[in-house]
Amino acid sequence: MTALRLPDPDAAAAPQRTVAPRIGARAVCEALVRQGVTTVFGYPGGTLLPIYDVLREFPLRHILVRHEQGGAHAADGFSRATGGVGVAMATSGPGAINLVTGLATAMMDSVPMVAITANVPRALLGKDAFQETDIIGIALPITKYATVVMNPDEVPLAVAEAFEIARSGRPGPVLLDFPKDVLQEETTAPHPEPHELRLPGLLRPTRGDVPEADELAGLIAKAERPLILAGHGIQIADATELLRQVAEKAEIPVAHTLLGIGNMDETHRLSAGYAGMHGWMHVNKAIQQSDLLIGIGCRYDDRITGKTSTFAPNATIVHVDVDRSEIGKNVRTDLGIVADAGDLLAALLPRLPQSEPRTAWLDQIGEWRTVSEARSWHGSGAWRQGRLSADYVVDRIGAATNHAATLVSDVGQNQMWAARYYGFRKPFHHLSSGGLGTMGYGVPAAMGAALGAPERETWAVVGDGGFQMTMQELATLVQDQIPVRIAVLNNHRLGMIRQWQEIIYDENYHSAELLGPDLVRLCEAYGIPAWRATKPEEVDGAIAAARRAPGPALIDFHLDEAQNVYPMMLPGKGLSDMVEGAGE
Amino acid sequence: MMAAAARRQTLPAGDPDAEHRRHLVSALVIDRPGTLNRVSGLLRARSFNIESLTVGTTDEPGRSRMTIALRGDDGHLRQVLAQLERVIDVLEVRDLTTVPHVELELALVELDPPADPDAEAAVRAVLAQSGGETLPTTDGTWRARLTASPDAIDQALTALRGHGLRRLVRAGAVAMTTTTPPPSENGEPGA
Repeated sequence: MTALRLPDPDAAAAPQRTVAPRIGARAVCEALVRQGVTTVFGYPGGTLLPIYDVLREFPLRHILVRHEQGGAHAADGFSRATGGVGVAMATSGPGAINLVTGLATAMMDSVPMVAITANVPRALLGKDAFQETDIIGIALPITKYATVVMNPDEVPLAVAEAFEIARSGRPGPVLLDFPKDVLQEETTAPHPEPHELRLPGLLRPTRGDVPEADELAGLIAKAERPLILAGHGIQIADATELLRQVAEKAEIPVAHTLLGIGNMDETHRLSAGYAGMHGWMHVNKAIQQSDLLIGIGCRYDDRITGKTSTFAPNATIVHVDVDRSEIGKNVRTDLGIVADAGDLLAALLPRLPQSEPRTAWLDQIGEWRTVSEARSWHGSGAWRQGRLSADYVVDRIGAATNHAATLVSDVGQNQMWAARYYGFRKPFHHLSSGGLGTMGYGVPAAMGAALGAPERETWAVVGDGGFQMTMQELATLVQDQIPVRIAVLNNHRLGMIRQWQEIIYDENYHSAELLGPDLVRLCEAYGIPAWRATKPEEVDGAIAAARRAPGPALIDFHLDEAQNVYPMMLPGKGLSDMVEGAGE
Repeated sequence: MMAAAARRQTLPAGDPDAEHRRHLVSALVIDRPGTLNRVSGLLRARSFNIESLTVGTTDEPGRSRMTIALRGDDGHLRQVLAQLERVIDVLEVRDLTTVPHVELELALVELDPPADPDAEAAVRAVLAQSGGETLPTTDGTWRARLTASPDAIDQALTALRGHGLRRLVRAGAVAMTTTTPPPSENGEPGA
């Protein structure tokens, strides 16, 4: 089965070096180690070779990706699964440009990561040298910060500042570009202490008590139908436990954004579920009927709100975010509080009296929930009639993994099915490209997640479209024996495209049918064990077999091709007029 | 910095009645390559057309001051300023439009030499009204500088176009906060 030859460890032994001048490349690696970096996702190239020349001297595991985009998504997945800062490396020109999709993905979802690129030597900058690109110019709008390091003496400080920028306040990706000769020249510059960083323009949240919590507690005291909309910011702030305590003390049900999934155990009585365009109907109804909507660490983005003029029409809208520029950006805001989600929840908790059970409100949501779950494809039990539906597959993966795996979805229908049916219990377990919607994110991000959190099982739930965008990383999975289980929800279609063309474009299908390879034979070529499941009764066996594989494994689930994701909020519409499909 | 100051926010989003008007933004930034790119790029991404943008050094080493004149509605601009504020190389952002400030612009003009003493008197009167003076030349050309509010410069240029305005270079607005509204050129209270 091992069609790919693994590197011979003897052949990889380093040549003996007698003199090791402390060049810029060594300063970069030292600085990474000092930041706690253990794993770097990279791809070598001419200008980046000074780093590869010294890499073996440092306790850094290098994962040779097959495309720099895979490296960027892997670093992102590593960050999201661990709460740390993933690192991706690329050479000048095309290598650096290939990082771009991954940087933009991380930027939209506030994921801390550091990208290191090399560039042509300083004397050649701006002269259209071989493999030269103004990567800073390209990266500016899609990074939290991007800068070129023009002097070897600046290397230690630049790397330390990059990590500080990436993880502070609202996190995001940072790109550092090193001209090749900066990596080659010697420097004695010491690594800075934290107080030596020069970041006067870095917004740091005001920490500690949040007096505005008084006002919020007052609103909660008056509310009859309060609802928390919990976003990614709660996990970034590592405040999921505080969220549960606040919800329990005030008897407030909690809705989640896509990236807020995992903020609360979905089986908790106060966890309402996932909201938005393809969210649960009962959650969207709760938003529309609430009289107090408390958004914490979310962006009130258009996939949650739909038409903003009809969003939560009866509610006093509260918005808590660490980023002041988010408040009031999308929806009318009655009370905005600029604060870290954890600080706000910690300040709110002692200000809340223990609430009486909000029986009427919770019962109402429970009633809606019964209807909404019964109408979903899963509830209607299409799988009992022999049709292999995606919800059934995701549900069985959830059951088999005891809802404790890291699940990385791609983008499109597969993403919505994963979000709706896995049954998440814990934070940092659901990874998805929410803001940018980057197809091809799934497999490489799962690669990073599996390396970052090896104690958990890692599944990539992807469609056949997104899988084909970055399937070159199968070789990386084999070479480093990274145990990612890939579930391809294969409907031989760009499913969400087809769904839109069916519903919105009068069934005028174009480019929705997707030819793909025989995935089992493809995996055979790579030396990856793979199974195909075409009937519901084959699902559990395939999942069990994939879980037994010591390294990567893949299951090609051939779905009933007619299945759409419902409910669905049509573009330009609001949460109150969702489409429930025939299958619901 | 503004971030720590105002933590409580009450904002109407996308208020359709928000006033669309000229804003004057003052930003203290770190003086290094790329800062201008970051600021102008953010404004471009949000579809603001920059009317003028000036950059100059400050008394503090390594810090520059940008003055940006642009048009937009109040709510949209306020949100963009909050985004500008989170740019790492931007230290402080302020919309001067709603606070007392003095605003001036420099313009250089080249004119046909006046045909007769009456014409010359008319040109000199325009210059006098717009903080201007002629610049010495050796080639017989008339050059002058104007220093006034952008509106006053607009008016002066309208007048000078009737007197053989050949060339024009404008510097863009610079502005500074004041404790009280400055008097405008015509003696009425300013903005």
